[in-house]
Amino acid sequence: MIDIFLNAARTIEPNAVSEEKQHGKLVVGYTCSYLPAEILHAAHIIPMRLRGIETHSLEIADSYYGPFICTFPKCLLQLASQGSYHFLDGAIISTGCDGMRRLDECWRKAGSDYHGSLPSFFHYFDVPHKRESYAISWFIEEIRKLIQHLKTHFNVKITDDAIRQSIQLYNHGRRLMFELDSLRHTEQVRISGAHAFAVSVAGTILPRELFTEQLALFLNHVKNTNTIMGKNQKRLMVVGSVNDDLELIELIEQCGAIVVSEHLCFGIRNEDDLVNETGDPVAALADRYLSNSACPRMFGYFSERLNLVKEKIQKAHVHGVIMQNIRFCDLHGSENGLMEHALEALGIPCMRIEREYGSLTETGRIKMRIQAFLERIES
Amino acid sequence: MTIIAGCDVGSLTSKAVIMQQDKILAVEIIKSKAKPQESANLVLENALTKAGLKLPDVQFIVGTGYGRDHIPFVHKTMSEISCHARGAKWLVPSAKTIIDIGGQDCKVIKLDKTGNVSKFIANDKCASGTGRFLEVMARMMNISIQELGEVSEKSKQPIQFASMCTVWAQADVVKYLNSGFALEDIGAGINMAMANRVSMLVSAIGIETDICMTGGVSKNSGVFVSLERILGHKIKKARKLDPQLAGALGAALIANDQIKGRA
Repeated sequence: MIDIFLNAARTIEPNAVSEEKQHGKLVVGYTCSYLPAEILHAAHIIPMRLRGIETHSLEIADSYYGPFICTFPKCLLQLASQGSYHFLDGAIISTGCDGMRRLDECWRKAGSDYHGSLPSFFHYFDVPHKRESYAISWFIEEIRKLIQHLKTHFNVKITDDAIRQSIQLYNHGRRLMFELDSLRHTEQVRISGAHAFAVSVAGTILPRELFTEQLALFLNHVKNTNTIMGKNQKRLMVVGSVNDDLELIELIEQCGAIVVSEHLCFGIRNEDDLVNETGDPVAALADRYLSNSACPRMFGYFSERLNLVKEKIQKAHVHGVIMQNIRFCDLHGSENGLMEHALEALGIPCMRIEREYGSLTETGRIKMRIQAFLERIES
Repeated sequence: MTIIAGCDVGSLTSKAVIMQQDKILAVEIIKSKAKPQESANLVLENALTKAGLKLPDVQFIVGTGYGRDHIPFVHKTMSEISCHARGAKWLVPSAKTIIDIGGQDCKVIKLDKTGNVSKFIANDKCASGTGRFLEVMARMMNISIQELGEVSEKSKQPIQFASMCTVWAQADVVKYLNSGFALEDIGAGINMAMANRVSMLVSAIGIETDICMTGGVSKNSGVFVSLERILGHKIKKARKLDPQLAGALGAALIANDQIKGRA
């Protein structure tokens, strides 16, 4: 039952998406959790969060980006340039951080150097870094610009009613995810961290109807399973920058711990709030997405993020926190330092890991650190 | 007679310590082989021969080091962090901060009042600040690592290296050698560059005295003295045993705990 989620989480073009493509469905990739995927869904397009897994070298990307840049946007550019995103009908780049913003320029340039690597629909979606009323007005304008571009490029209708229906469907999925997440908080855990994370990642990849339907079935299965995990294991939380790599969570669990919570760029942290289902749907989306200050891309909300992490630590009975960030990630690199200091002062053991993205990671060194961290917690 | 052992399979050297409770019976250090299991078998066999023992005589063995998961005869594996912490505490009981510089990485470990690891930090995927850095530089200068430590003691004007990157520093060494600079000044500069790199890790975690150093590089007097100067604190020398054996010693002490726990 987990297989559909694992397949989605482990491949950049999952079977379920390929099948929909064969039936004429459009697929548009996006780079940041601050993009309201409901808009694409309302246009009958499959929104797919872009991922850099399956990258084995950066020979192309390194010539566009300098050496001191996070490997995540580099991996995306590498995959795009080598044609691995051939199935995309469009791509939307956001200002998640400066490295991701520059992906817009690099990909456009690579599009002229590598024929066919730039999808015909290519949109730059700006996201404010604050959530004051003027920022929300600007964000609403950005969403409306995106709607207009989608309408004219793909010749599709995007009505307010359709957006409302998409919001309802997405909210339903969020409620199911909250429920699944709550099953990890109990003493007897019924789902491994790796499987729970696979579900979260799959939620950004699979067609939403399919995801919601499968999640409901899976949730029912997990609730009724007799398999109990986490007994006598250290309960860990993983926080920090972009990670859609199941192997990292699996590696932590192979060392003898269980991951009971995350606060990562991919995952449950982006599903924390529901979108208001009444009123102007575009304004409701702008309000919900911009009110989410879980990512340090939002300036001035460190205390809120810290409280959020503290709340999760308490709720999931976490013994220790692993703070990971991709090397050269300014946002999470500095935020992890601040958060480590604050949490350690409260007696919560923390460990910071700086790593390369995805399959470029060297697991041996990370494994040693995880093992040492667990020994530290146990001593 | 309870015999326990610790086996530390590192990237450059493999070490073994055989103990009978708190007494060290035999130690061994060899150059690591291509396969960790080969290194582990050989180093333990040599140590056992020295002690006049055979493998079945050993009740509990703890493995550590980068090759720990491939050691065939161990009963338990522990990370290098925990083993070095334990070994260093035995060697220097007052130690609160441990600087361990091995062949391929460098770690700084802080201990709490009870001697448990309270914090650690390690360098990432970079040769600078590791034994490998010194090995490469010594090779460039056509001297041994041992000599690299000794020559710098004679230096009056250490060279300041612009980069701590192993590749760039290598190019600088060639430049200074060709320009006729004294070997001792180049050597002292290398040790200083190494100490600078390590001091960054120490500063990141915060110094708490007493400080002690373990790992093969701790035997390089040039790095040792430079580090003392940069940190502004004396570093306690491990006198009871070769500090390169701290990881294997810690592993043996943890093996002893395991036996006691069973009793």
